[in-house]
Amino acid sequence: MIEIELELCTACGKCVKVCPVDAIEIKEEKAVLTGDCISCGVCVSACPEDAIEPVIKTAEVEDLAQYEGVWVFAEQENGKLKPTGPQLLGKGRELADKLGEELCAVLIGNDIKELSGELGAHGAEKVYVVDDNIFENYSTEAYTTAVTSLISEYKPNILLYGATHLGRDLAPSVAGRMGLGLTADCTDLSIEEVEGRKVLLQTRPAFGGNVMADIVCPNSRPQMATVRPHVMSPMEPDKDSEFEVIEESVRVREEAISTEVIEVMKPEDKGEIPIEEADVVVCGGRGVGTRKEDFELLRELADLLDGTVGCSRPIVEEDIMPKSRQVGQSGKTISPKLYIVCGVSGAIQHKVGIKDSDYIIAVNKNPDAAIFDVADFGIVGDLNQVLPLMIEKLGKVKEN
Amino acid sequence: MRFVVLVKQVPDTTEVEVDEETGTIIREGVPSALNAFDEFALNLAVEMKEKSEEDIEIVALSMGPPQAEEALNKCLAIGADRAILLTDKSFAGADTWATAVTLSRALKKIGKADLIFAGQEASDGNTAQVGPEVAAHRGLPQLTYVSDIEDLDLREGYILCKKETDEGHVRIKSEIPTVLACMPDPGFEPKIPNVREIMKAKKKPKEQWDLEDLGGEEEDYGLEGSESVVIETYSPPPKGEGIKIEEEPEKSVDELVKFLDEEGLL
Amino acid sequence: MARTDLSDDRELSEEQKLFKESISDWAERNLPLERVIEINREGHPFPEDIIEGLAELGVIMGPVPEEHGGMGLNWKDQIVIADQIGYIDPSIATAAGFMAVETGWGFTLNRYCNEEIREKYVRPAIRGEKFVGIATTEPKGGSDVAGFESTGEKDGDEWVLNGEKTFISGVEECHKMGGGFWVNVRTGPQVEGAPHKNMTAFFVPIDADGVEPQEPYDDAGRGSLSTSGFIMEDVRIPEEYMLGERGKGFYHTMEGFDLARIMIGASAVGVTRRLLEEAADYIKERETFGKPLAKYEGIQFPFVERYTEMEASKLMVKKVADMTDTRYDEEGWVERTGKAQTYKPTEIAKWISMIKYKIPHLAKDTADDAMHWLGAAGYSSEYIFETAWRGVMSYCVGAEGGANIQKIVIGRETLGKDYVPYK
Repeated sequence: MIEIELELCTACGKCVKVCPVDAIEIKEEKAVLTGDCISCGVCVSACPEDAIEPVIKTAEVEDLAQYEGVWVFAEQENGKLKPTGPQLLGKGRELADKLGEELCAVLIGNDIKELSGELGAHGAEKVYVVDDNIFENYSTEAYTTAVTSLISEYKPNILLYGATHLGRDLAPSVAGRMGLGLTADCTDLSIEEVEGRKVLLQTRPAFGGNVMADIVCPNSRPQMATVRPHVMSPMEPDKDSEFEVIEESVRVREEAISTEVIEVMKPEDKGEIPIEEADVVVCGGRGVGTRKEDFELLRELADLLDGTVGCSRPIVEEDIMPKSRQVGQSGKTISPKLYIVCGVSGAIQHKVGIKDSDYIIAVNKNPDAAIFDVADFGIVGDLNQVLPLMIEKLGKVKEN
Repeated sequence: MRFVVLVKQVPDTTEVEVDEETGTIIREGVPSALNAFDEFALNLAVEMKEKSEEDIEIVALSMGPPQAEEALNKCLAIGADRAILLTDKSFAGADTWATAVTLSRALKKIGKADLIFAGQEASDGNTAQVGPEVAAHRGLPQLTYVSDIEDLDLREGYILCKKETDEGHVRIKSEIPTVLACMPDPGFEPKIPNVREIMKAKKKPKEQWDLEDLGGEEEDYGLEGSESVVIETYSPPPKGEGIKIEEEPEKSVDELVKFLDEEGLL
Repeated sequence: MARTDLSDDRELSEEQKLFKESISDWAERNLPLERVIEINREGHPFPEDIIEGLAELGVIMGPVPEEHGGMGLNWKDQIVIADQIGYIDPSIATAAGFMAVETGWGFTLNRYCNEEIREKYVRPAIRGEKFVGIATTEPKGGSDVAGFESTGEKDGDEWVLNGEKTFISGVEECHKMGGGFWVNVRTGPQVEGAPHKNMTAFFVPIDADGVEPQEPYDDAGRGSLSTSGFIMEDVRIPEEYMLGERGKGFYHTMEGFDLARIMIGASAVGVTRRLLEEAADYIKERETFGKPLAKYEGIQFPFVERYTEMEASKLMVKKVADMTDTRYDEEGWVERTGKAQTYKPTEIAKWISMIKYKIPHLAKDTADDAMHWLGAAGYSSEYIFETAWRGVMSYCVGAEGGANIQKIVIGRETLGKDYVPYK
């Protein structure tokens, strides 16, 4: 909702031009709200006199019953669906069944209507399509306007987004404009009864994952959440499933968009990241070998996993890797998401350097090696056999 | 000209525990710090001020309990010119929505800002929502995942940033004023204030604003003003003993791949 | 397991807390323990990038008044800085030693020098561009003032200095960076029974004609701050480079020692705290006979004894800083506290002696204990303890005043003048 400060209004007409739903008119030399405002906020930024203020009212409790439907924002880029759409539809089916409501998808872009087939196959009963040139590339204003428009028109009960960079840009923008509760980066969702009503229970990690929280949005609709990618599973696609496509036209003016992508940059070489910054570190010790060539396999594995290589102290002393790559007490203490360590016995000095890693995978010939005390998954075996197999099999998974 | 930097004081570690009885985080004995991404945002603001020929006031703004003054002191030492702490009993328990309402009202009171900087997310809440929600409240555009500023022209009214996307990075231009939610690239080292700067900060203006200063009703803010409610916090299930297998390499690696897949690491 | 934290910053001001944070953050990037061990091993001269870093941080010569290029800090602030510098450099010689010498002697030099010396040497030293040090010790005299033989003779409007100074810290660094030394010489006949009379202090630039730096020693520790000496052969120093009053050199010099000793004492508290924290992390983790080392009384009890002494030392240093603030700002102190000045110079001397002999010894003993707890690991250069032990010893045996002399001062102030040895 917006409020126009009439004293400041000069009737320049900019707001009228940019409003996607033609809700503003100039009457008696002042801008006046005459239609249903969808709270997209475009007029607020367009007004040169700062005469328009967002007034954000949240949905009243009585209205809640009007909201029905489990909706999923299906992210796409360059005409290809991102995996989060199907993943959320997989979970969405479960939620929709428990509520006895429809499962729908929201698809926004340019020339992307055909993707609705894939969404239908993955479980969407309805696909709302907003297809126009202006949505070719993501912009906060255009996509927020589209989503808020659909919400205002169709009143869904639940709206889920993948917690991708795009999702985490879009969802709070929608939440902010419409006064909605939003829960970020959920790892689990379910329908529970809270105070006599069936609501969406949103479970998410906080404090970097050391604490879990269960959250509900009691009074605002739709209940919105961004969901961590790759936690939910898509259903097996059913090419014969029936679904409906509903095309909506949402008019967003060029002037409303304040950003412009100048250049898409070349991806950076992840291998050069310092070990303390990398998400994945593959570390080798004496058991790997005493020559530079012996460490090629580790490098290959690290590249495959978008990570970087590290080593234990003897390797630095042999001048195979620089001191900056040394993991352990007298090297660096690191806490990557995934730490793969080969040919390191795991004395206290090494263990101290890695104890806060999320996952530790160890490969060592000696079944009694101390490193297995701290490993989440340990393989007792010859790393010269195990490593090539890891590269081969993980490579296959990555391709799919 | 004015930059406002939104900052938060957070626990200095993510190694926190939940009191199983009350279901709340044990904060006692846990030291606090300026949220790392907010510190980065402030560093960017100071860098922009130093590069510019304009006269720019940097305001550090935070909502928090009285001890959050410490984080604001650090902001002044790093280079902010003025610090404002929004503190009131009624502000407590706010979700990102209520936080955005509180910050936005303060922003309105501060007056026009040419740029609003914020950290992309806080290391305790990890929501990454306050920046965009404040943008929505103020009717401003937003840029999230900003890792660097290439060019800023305050007179012409645009900014050119490096922004992280799911695929990599883009160079993106935006009109200003805008809200920048910032996150550093790996390897970023924040500015370390020296003794001189710390002593200078002592003399910079610090204010505290409460409910009365911001206006509105108690129910607009804090727990009452929130749209999302935490109904339970608990420790994640323990990881359990590690798996150790001693099989033919082919089988071992298959098991490993399965494990990595199940844990969502692939 | 989180790292052990033995700090207690409850009573620190906001600024003091930020000083500590900045010093720790800087050290994490520029001088982690591995590098402390490394630079001690590599030897002198002291790495220039660290001198620059310390100067940039603003931890050198903070109490020098603002109008002279300093920050006008009071000594209660500077001891917090010194404590944290000791914490990040438990070898006490590198960053801590450098900071202590420069701060204590730079401040005192600034009090007694002329404008020219201030512009050419004091201000640059604050910026880390020059080195100012202290040169009193001679082959025949150090603790025994009667042994001093260097002379200064007036010739027109210059003084001609002759003599040899040995076991001086920083000559190599000074030679490299530029700067000079506070030098004591006899400018009158030695008075029987009062050898400290008729001594005058001068500032001697290291590049003055006739100053010949000697080869550095190989010390047991303090590897990166050089110990050597220089010979003065007919060195001509202008009258304006006399520091303070003719004949009062000894007294002015004692002021410099006082301040340097406070810096050392404060640093040694930080050193002790760091050694205890590093040792604690190890003894909590390492197991023998099925239990962590920390569970054995034989290890836990000495640990807590050292910890208790450390906290006591901290309070002593704080008291001394307070006394020093009153000494250099009597009016301000009286105004602030409403009390009349209560500390006599001899009281202050007694307290400074107490912290100078006690706390470096505490740090050394803590390093010694820790090496026992860690065994072979503690004896190796993988951990900080043996490097710390060797470095701190320097301040026990003689640097900035030998411990045994400090005890004589305390004896004089407690038991009375009649019981001073050697009289």
